Amino acid sequence: MDEERTELVPKKQSLFPISGEDIVDNALQNLDESQARKVTEKAADEMVRLAVEKKKAEYRNSAAQDEMQNLIRNANLLDQRVSDYKINSTFETASGTTNVEIKKSGARTILIAVAVGVIVLIMVVAYLGLR
Amino acid sequence: MNTIDYILLFLVSAAVLFVFLDYRFGLLTFGGAKKKEFANSSLVSTLLGLNDSALSELLGLYKREFGPGPARYARRTLKKWKAGEVQPATQTFERFLLQLPKVMSFELKCEVLRHFMEEYAARDSYELDVSTDDWEEKLDPLVEQIIDKAFTANLPAELESKLEWLVEGDMQAARAMLRASQAAEGRLMVSMLHEEFENFERLLGEKHLKPRVTHVLEFPYGTIKLNVKRRVAKNG
Repeated sequence: MDEERTELVPKKQSLFPISGEDIVDNALQNLDESQARKVTEKAADEMVRLAVEKKKAEYRNSAAQDEMQNLIRNANLLDQRVSDYKINSTFETASGTTNVEIKKSGARTILIAVAVGVIVLIMVVAYLGLR
Repeated sequence: MNTIDYILLFLVSAAVLFVFLDYRFGLLTFGGAKKKEFANSSLVSTLLGLNDSALSELLGLYKREFGPGPARYARRTLKKWKAGEVQPATQTFERFLLQLPKVMSFELKCEVLRHFMEEYAARDSYELDVSTDDWEEKLDPLVEQIIDKAFTANLPAELESKLEWLVEGDMQAARAMLRASQAAEGRLMVSMLHEEFENFERLLGEKHLKPRVTHVLEFPYGTIKLNVKRRVAKNG
């Protein structure tokens, strides 16, 4: 039961738990008629703005999903053909920004590391030999 | 005049210059970063960071109220004011933030209020490690907390006393409305997180690619950075 309550946004729950009416009711206290009219109009504008934002968020999510699939495809291609690569991608989603980093350090990096290790070893041996 | 007279003359001149500069540009006020944040020049720079349509309306109003000459100068100097390269004079601050609000539309005043709330109200910043199977239980309390902050966030008292119109009459109603709207916007943002995490899971499922995924949620009053890992394998 607790799990149900802690769910971020339970499925089928309204995206607008606070209705336009709530917004207006909260805001209208202690205002004269003219002020109340302006606030009501602004509240209606806000509801429209939120509906537009919702559409934009849906679009961003759908675009991000496609882009992530493309990223996987491209990374798999690179992975088969190249031994060293790095991909850094950023996606705008409904809730924010996703960053994905994929990198492969192949044989060349291992060779460089081995070469550096060997040089260090030779220097240590030479130093100890000279003492 | 002897040397001491010259020194005294120099000190008096320096003091007069200091007082003039402080009065005219608000540049030399002591008191550290916090005081500077609400300096007249800084408030003008913040105001000019409004979105394009609100800024255009503001400049149109400026032209109507103060004439084409000052409006031309304002348009020319806008970028320099924003970047802090040129400090707006006290007169500019008074025109933009004390005189114009008297003739601004309610809509524009609401936009200025929204902008100032988002710029000056305190913001929280979090960083969390989550996996694709435990993100919900870790994230839920934080998200609730940040969304609820829309109902408690306030402009700093120093700013409210400087720009009294922001807390008078219908602006109180505007603030209540803005709060409800920002909370609704926050809920809207997280409403598609289930789908987003399904995408992350698909991506992280490509084990051989070893992808590193980070996701930043930006709310009006806080930011949550998530380091997303693969679902933790369970025995049995």
